[in-house]
Amino acid sequence: MDMLNTFQQHQHAALPRANHDERARQEFTKSLKQFVQQGLLPGLGPVFQNRAAKAFEKAHGRPPADRWDIRKAMVPDLYFQHYAATNRIAQEILWESVIGSIERQLPELEAATKALSAASAGAVESSPDFAVPRYVSAIDIHCMPGGYASEAHGDDIVQGALYDRGVYLYAMGYMGPNNDDMGRSVCNYVTRKLDGFRPSRILDMGCTVGHSTVPYKELFPDAEVTGIDVGGPCVRYAHARAKALGQDVHFLQRSAEDTGFEAESFDLIVSHILLHETSGQAMPRVFRECHRLLKPGGYMIHADLPPFDLMDPFTQFILDNETYYNNEPFWGAMRDKDQIRMAADAGFPESSIRFDTAPMAIMEFAAANESYTEDAAEALADREFTAGEYAPGGGWEVLIAQKAA
Amino acid sequence: MMRKLERHARGKRPNFYDTPGMDDAMAMILVLANELSVVRDRLDTVERVAAAKGIMLDAEIEAYEPDQAVLEAREARRQDFLSRLFYLARKQAAELASGDSAERYQGALDDIAVN
Repeated sequence: MDMLNTFQQHQHAALPRANHDERARQEFTKSLKQFVQQGLLPGLGPVFQNRAAKAFEKAHGRPPADRWDIRKAMVPDLYFQHYAATNRIAQEILWESVIGSIERQLPELEAATKALSAASAGAVESSPDFAVPRYVSAIDIHCMPGGYASEAHGDDIVQGALYDRGVYLYAMGYMGPNNDDMGRSVCNYVTRKLDGFRPSRILDMGCTVGHSTVPYKELFPDAEVTGIDVGGPCVRYAHARAKALGQDVHFLQRSAEDTGFEAESFDLIVSHILLHETSGQAMPRVFRECHRLLKPGGYMIHADLPPFDLMDPFTQFILDNETYYNNEPFWGAMRDKDQIRMAADAGFPESSIRFDTAPMAIMEFAAANESYTEDAAEALADREFTAGEYAPGGGWEVLIAQKAA
Repeated sequence: MMRKLERHARGKRPNFYDTPGMDDAMAMILVLANELSVVRDRLDTVERVAAAKGIMLDAEIEAYEPDQAVLEAREARRQDFLSRLFYLARKQAAELASGDSAERYQGALDDIAVN
């Protein structure tokens, strides 16, 4: 049976508060995404096998061979068109439903985040002169109007607030009541898989609103935790948001390519779905910067997308739709990169570099929120990997490397 | 004054359908479905808020029997709604019935321009 998704976001003090109809509007967009995933996505396989592939073969005299062929076969198919159009529209009305809500309550939201930020012992740093990289400013990634970095003034937090609520709906709550499952899962991985390694200085690169950053402070309370992002509104909102969750965390507007920190400043550097939002030139620079910033024996862990060469062409095609239809310019290209080689070129010993799975932590913490019923959380954590679903079943893919001691 | 936030994402939007206008129509249908869902949720809230105050609207609604005047008013409203829903098909039938055509329209433009 399909999972009945009633997941609800935790209403922390920095999060925009939706009124009844705004919430219903937002809830619908989450339901629509869930429906696309459970009700339309599974039909793509039979549509391809029994209709689109046959039409392709008739036209080309050979069956579709790779993801580009499959794309050519599927794009003219009406079922695929309905799937892709509905997916895109769901994404658009999702952001729209949150923007209207934020617009209505902006003065209150600004006052609330300002007060939270003022109460935090963590540092916050941003500048209107910061040069936002082109891979973030050229296209609004995943169709979020304004992107990560647009700001009307130096205290603007709108894009951060928009991301916090929007990404919860986008992920259909799969990342937990605080959008923090990726961070928690990687924390668990560090605690359980790295032979007693206990980080004392942790850097989260491309932290957005710090949703993955905060768990590190919670699970390693003695560590100094810093989140960096190129979006000014994101780091300012993140700073307030962390305080709303009871944590003092540093949030700085910096690029992961060139952070400005001293060499050997950290013993754990992490990122969560950052790499696929960088670029062909930026990604190896991020790896080199990680190597420079790590203390000897320190770990780099990037939770992102596994490479295409591990998947069949149809799975690749489904995943690559994000590149074409969801303003994710580097999504497909990033999966063709040899990430192991890239980490080795950055200086990490080859024997220390590997892909692994960090099991979803959701079963361990979601029960605190009653909308995360045991059945639903279990269904989420135990799924098989299905291309096109929001989160891979079972766990998050991590690329891990250790700097030589 | 209330700040107006950006509503459009930078990046050329792809079209999914071959038929011109179909992408727009699909988006409008889904926005309407969204609002219908909002209204349904709101009605549900009304029933539940009333129930919390001891007024069991749900049961009252189930027990309610419309009288003749209500039956007539509702049927008239439904027919009116359907005729609006199918206004384009009805327009086409009306054009065919009255012999209206694109040629007649263009003829009228040409005629009125000079006469």
